[in-house]
Amino acid sequence: MQTFATEIYNYKSLIFALTKRHLAQRYRGSLLGFLWSFINPLCLMLVYALVFKYYIRFSAVDHYAIFLFTGLLPWLWFVSSLTEGVGSIVASGHLVTKAMFPAHVLPLVAVLTNLVNFILSLPLLFVFMAFYGVDFYPTLFALPALIALQAVFTYGLGLALASLNVYYRDVQHILGNVLNFLFFLCPILYPVDVVPERLRFTLDFNPLAVFTTGYHKIILDGALPSLLSWAFLLFSSLCALVLGIAIYNKNHETFAELL
Amino acid sequence: MAQSPVSIYYPANAGGLRAAVAAEGTLDMAEELTSKSCVEYVIDIVSLSKTFKRCSLKKSDYTTVKSRLLNLFKGRPHSAATVDALSNITIRVPKGASFGIIGRNGSGKSTLLKIITGIYKPTSGVVNVSGRVSALIELGAGFHPDFSGRENIFLGGALHGLANREIEERFEEIVNFAGLEEVIDDPVRTYSSGMYMRLGFSLAVHTDPDILLVDEVLSVGDASFVTKCKDKIDALRKEGKTLLLVSHDLAAVERWCDEVLWLEKGKEMDRGNPRRVIDAYRSWIEKGEEKELVEDAAKDRESEEDGSVGLFRRWGSREIEIISIRTLNADMKESLMFHTGESLSIEIKYRTNQDVDDRVFGVGINRLDGLVVLGSNTDLERVDVPPDKKEGRVLYKIMSLDLAEGTYSVDAAVHRSDGYPYDYHQAAVKFMVKSPFNQAGVYLPEHKWEFGDL
Repeated sequence: MQTFATEIYNYKSLIFALTKRHLAQRYRGSLLGFLWSFINPLCLMLVYALVFKYYIRFSAVDHYAIFLFTGLLPWLWFVSSLTEGVGSIVASGHLVTKAMFPAHVLPLVAVLTNLVNFILSLPLLFVFMAFYGVDFYPTLFALPALIALQAVFTYGLGLALASLNVYYRDVQHILGNVLNFLFFLCPILYPVDVVPERLRFTLDFNPLAVFTTGYHKIILDGALPSLLSWAFLLFSSLCALVLGIAIYNKNHETFAELL
Repeated sequence: MAQSPVSIYYPANAGGLRAAVAAEGTLDMAEELTSKSCVEYVIDIVSLSKTFKRCSLKKSDYTTVKSRLLNLFKGRPHSAATVDALSNITIRVPKGASFGIIGRNGSGKSTLLKIITGIYKPTSGVVNVSGRVSALIELGAGFHPDFSGRENIFLGGALHGLANREIEERFEEIVNFAGLEEVIDDPVRTYSSGMYMRLGFSLAVHTDPDILLVDEVLSVGDASFVTKCKDKIDALRKEGKTLLLVSHDLAAVERWCDEVLWLEKGKEMDRGNPRRVIDAYRSWIEKGEEKELVEDAAKDRESEEDGSVGLFRRWGSREIEIISIRTLNADMKESLMFHTGESLSIEIKYRTNQDVDDRVFGVGINRLDGLVVLGSNTDLERVDVPPDKKEGRVLYKIMSLDLAEGTYSVDAAVHRSDGYPYDYHQAAVKFMVKSPFNQAGVYLPEHKWEFGDL
């Protein structure tokens, strides 16, 4: 764990350079460039809003579009970090086999790249909130803490999956399906209240669901998640990180030979 | 990039125990091994071995979750064939020395370099590398074509473990050395391959390395840049940097290195004085080539017999039959490898099946592209052929083989003076000529150059 932190510190300029490169690469050559990081989630939000608000006439929450957007943005950060992260070591095989650097920075770069996107799309959410006259609460100041926890959680999982993916390329395909499944198990399209009491536990023990409700509370309700929720998130993030580091440490010595 | 000092100890055959043993016994063992002498070794490798699992794309060998699971159900042990890439290699390079590694392709040179850089982990043995390593292995590895030279320098520098500030300090120097001032903000994909290499080399030597690993990079780029590279490496050596050179350019190895290791199939063949090791390596390579010639000839004969197309051809009515054709050296021993100026004899052994009066023996030497080097016979030279014997031997003795380097084939025949063939062998033997230098053409007489006033 400590050598891990030292390595990340020593290679901070590499992490910075790679993140910058990924961000630049993503939109290089496209006409609208960085605007796409707004347009993509916006389109997704519009489709869901259309279906659930106007077709299904779902009316359990006020300002459904904003509710949806609040949950969707961190979810998209999570999903894109993992889908990019899972293949990151394999995709950078040319670097892993030719230069000596810790490969665990690669999934980290995926998390950071998408974090930048996430943070840049937050102002869009705030503009919407202002437009619809939704109140801003001082609890917003707790947002960085929640984001930091999610970053650790995502990095841990990403590291584990990226390491396994070097051995079994099936991992990236499995991941896509699992993520689709998980999406509906998080209270993004629906608020927690509509879930029957006897099934509520599926949300209580799902870190991603707890993250989502956390964002809802901090941004929309002006309340802080319970101490128990914080503790659970901290615990989950650390578990994910320890798992990721363990799987990475067990396998990273043979990465270069397999790529 | 190796942080200093790096020390890794791997017990042989420890398998799952590796991590635990490495954690406890690591430093003690390594220290004990290094502290025995007073010389400071910057590269200290003791009985290193590296085994690879054989990688095969054959369906049955490819691991996927599915095949793992299937194997699990079948109860088949998950085992894979292994390849010994390196076995029991010891290399100790003192600070500031230059060490060369030679060997054929696939002898393990690159694997060794990858272990020294830390990209691969040894299967067993002690590897101790102290100081910043810069590897000139694949120049420009990690450059991204869509990004400018400037962006790639920063990314590449970071990959070498440099901080942004350090790269900024060197930026000018890197660009100037590569001579790319005007195009540094253009995307790398617009660079010529020479420019790409120059940028890669320049970046690698400016990362302030303590140890420079050079793998075959001196063979790229235009002549003036190669000279510049060599000068830079010379300068770094003078500054007391340690050099590890892997090259097929034996002259460069001989010029630079204090000690040379010769690897063959991952094993040490010889080591020590560069001159001696390189000479041994050269003559070993020649022997290998000779063996190939013999195998080639055998294959040619086979293909003649089964009717497929080879260089070897034989025809004639066989009243007299040629039993064997050989090339002999000065000691009259069979040989397929000659040096310019040596003696070569073509030996023809024959058997008479039916008495004939008119007998002419002929020989020819051709270059493989078909150029006739010589073609003559006993009739043309008005040589008296002794009366008929049941069996006999004819020698065509060349006192001094004044041929340029290359591979040549021998024709031999016995026929009537009007050309009617009894037995004609075309390209019966192939031999190789080595000369101290490469010249154009086929004739290399004993000669000298003289210079004088008008």
